[in-house]
Amino acid sequence: MKPTLRLVIPFTIASSLLFSQAVLDPALLGKPPVDAWPTFHGDYSGRHYSTLDQINQSNVKNLGLAWVYRANRNQQGAQTGGAVPEAVPFKLGPGALGGGFLKSTPLMVNGVLYFSSPDHAWAVDARTGKEIWHLFWKTKGGEHIGNRGLGMYGRWLYMETPDGYVVCLEAETGKERWHREIADVRAEYYGTASPIVLGNHVIVGLSGDVLDVPAWLESRDPETGEVQWKWYTTPRAGEKGIETWPDAFAAEHGGGMTWQPVTYDPDLNLVYVGTGNPNPVYRGDLRKGSNLYTASIVALNADTGKLVWYFQSSPHDTHDWDATQVPVLFNMTIDGQPRKLLAQASRNGYFFVLDRTTGKNLVTSKFVESPNWDNGVDEHGEPIPNPEKDSQLGGSLISPNNGGAVNWAPPTYDPETELFYLNTAQGYEIHYQYSIEGPAFGSSGHTAQAVGGIENSLRAIDPRTGKLRWVHKYAGSEWNPIRPEHLGGLLSTAGKLLFAGAPGGFWVAYDPVSGRQLWHTTFDYDVSNTPITYMLDGTQYLLVGAGDALYAFRVQK
Amino acid sequence: MRSRLCHGLPVAAMLSCLPILFAQTPGARGGPPAAAPQERVSSAAVERGNQIYKPSCAFCHGIDARGAAGPDLARSLIVLNDAEGKDLAVFLRSGRPDAGMPAFADMTTEQAADISAFLHARIEESRARAPMNVNAIIVGNAAQGAAFFNGEGKCNTCHNPSADFKGIGAKYDPMVLQGRIINPRGGRGGPPVKPSSVRVTLPNGQTTTSRLVAVNDFSVTLVDGAGNRRTFERDNEVPKVEITDPYQAHLDNFLKMTDKHMHDLTAYLVTLK
Repeated sequence: MKPTLRLVIPFTIASSLLFSQAVLDPALLGKPPVDAWPTFHGDYSGRHYSTLDQINQSNVKNLGLAWVYRANRNQQGAQTGGAVPEAVPFKLGPGALGGGFLKSTPLMVNGVLYFSSPDHAWAVDARTGKEIWHLFWKTKGGEHIGNRGLGMYGRWLYMETPDGYVVCLEAETGKERWHREIADVRAEYYGTASPIVLGNHVIVGLSGDVLDVPAWLESRDPETGEVQWKWYTTPRAGEKGIETWPDAFAAEHGGGMTWQPVTYDPDLNLVYVGTGNPNPVYRGDLRKGSNLYTASIVALNADTGKLVWYFQSSPHDTHDWDATQVPVLFNMTIDGQPRKLLAQASRNGYFFVLDRTTGKNLVTSKFVESPNWDNGVDEHGEPIPNPEKDSQLGGSLISPNNGGAVNWAPPTYDPETELFYLNTAQGYEIHYQYSIEGPAFGSSGHTAQAVGGIENSLRAIDPRTGKLRWVHKYAGSEWNPIRPEHLGGLLSTAGKLLFAGAPGGFWVAYDPVSGRQLWHTTFDYDVSNTPITYMLDGTQYLLVGAGDALYAFRVQK
Repeated sequence: MRSRLCHGLPVAAMLSCLPILFAQTPGARGGPPAAAPQERVSSAAVERGNQIYKPSCAFCHGIDARGAAGPDLARSLIVLNDAEGKDLAVFLRSGRPDAGMPAFADMTTEQAADISAFLHARIEESRARAPMNVNAIIVGNAAQGAAFFNGEGKCNTCHNPSADFKGIGAKYDPMVLQGRIINPRGGRGGPPVKPSSVRVTLPNGQTTTSRLVAVNDFSVTLVDGAGNRRTFERDNEVPKVEITDPYQAHLDNFLKMTDKHMHDLTAYLVTLK
């Protein structure tokens, strides 16, 4: 051990000098996040788990506010970037301000926080909450529903924009280095995902299901922004999977957007991406078949973008069940065998555990009681859609509602309790297909009315069985449960703590074993992003966004 | 804001929070296109464009421009990016002969502008559709709905066609009525929500029963007959809070209601004019 230490220590000192301030040491990527939170999920696993335990069950009662940062959207004094000289007026998308517009999970690197909202990015001092720089992106338009965060490589940041660009910024100044068009905003494409950096790949996803346009995931060179590979989410003529579509035209226009950040297993060199709903959204009659690889969990080779395996969370989806929920990676011993697993709690109400090497299904279960759109599960562990629950002229009562049983806000997996935690909703809508005349786009001829629902709850699932270990129903959430992503994402830590948003603007620490509440605070909006934690100058911080503000907490001495 | 608005408000107010309800509104789901050239076009231009389109283009691209032997023009980036026919004219004059698209060498910018207007109108039409006819949702069997109302559904435990439900079919449009079968709390023009009552039991056994104002994980607020409000802090279910909801039967129905029963009940209730 000693010679190794001698070698390591000087290198560490040298690298900490070299990588002062706005530079991300690539060695941090993929490690458990401790004194940095260098990527959307903290590491590549999507567990949203921290090994830090300075804040723990014994002192969580003494958590207090360290600082608040209220998002500055003033264009005066901002760095500006953009593909047009002046920003065009745009319409804020549904939920852009509702649910809180800081949906972004901040990165924390060398004492600086980096985060974003549509057309904006900020760098903020993690010690004080003071702004270092602000970037304003002069938009061409596009859907401004949200921005989930930035990616970082060395001294550069990557941001997607509502008008369909990926932008590279200098982390130190926020100055634009370059922008590259992912897809044309006029075809209703837009960007919300957080780019994920893997080696020398920046993995970029995209959104847009109004015009039934082709969807893909792409990898770009972090230095130049050039495309390294592109994986189309639906097959083309002659390719495997085309038999799950009526024809090549339907497949090409079959959607399956990639609007959530991916997870990654460096040992297998596999990228795991959840794909969105097929198009036209509610018109299954126009795309008979299972519609691969929409609403699926897909494993791709990180260097080539070639498909290795897939599992379809919602075969032939006719309810807008994106399968974009985080594919969470963890290892577990099952029947004495160590297994590399992937688990997803899907928007459609089903929980899946797969072998992440092969994609083989190990567990399928429902994690809420209300889903009523299916006829059980087939031999592959994939749900069987019930055609009678497609949208009808007379109305079809469907649960989950459009918000889903869960949505994009990340769940957490705690390797100590070996449980998977998530904020859920059991909402209902009546769906109508009032016109099927002529050709269809997106959601044409379809409408829905919200009729409330049963409840919101925080749930703990045992991945070995898919069974619920405990359920905490939020008091007062009956009748009008809110969309689950409007409660924000989850975080678990080695301090034997589970953090989750609760309706009413609460942020709560729980005992992950029992679900007992240990501490809470209240904001003026519900939690809107996914909390993170990190060590800074020997102190553990917790950071959470609600509405237009970021709140930093630490134990009061 | 949306979550705030949606949370704890009557259903009708909640509906306005739901973007997908407004399928008739162009672009409600995805926002408008970056620019909206269709707003600048006149119906006369659309008709002139149609007259040029039909004989020249429809054979390959379909009478509705949504593609036949040739590509779907509503998704064409050339069309989507075109403003007033300028780009389209350049394209049409040279065509794409290698792909089987002939050149229209004599095409004027004005003619191309008319074709562009026609194509953008098709795009909007395809996206927006006609407004929904709410009476079309009455597809159920009224007699079977009445039987369910008075039998298995036990609706008549609380409701009476000649009392509280008198004229209900005239009061609400069928879609609202159908929504209220599932969730009767509030709604457009509906009666005020009946309050829940709540019993709070303190650790010492002392209980208070009163009208519920609000409850969440960390507090419960109630108001007594004299209008006095009281709020109790809650810590892990202490004090104990038991709520009696006058609409409990409907809450229980979420998991039980079938589309058939919902359609039949709708068909029956609309007859109570």
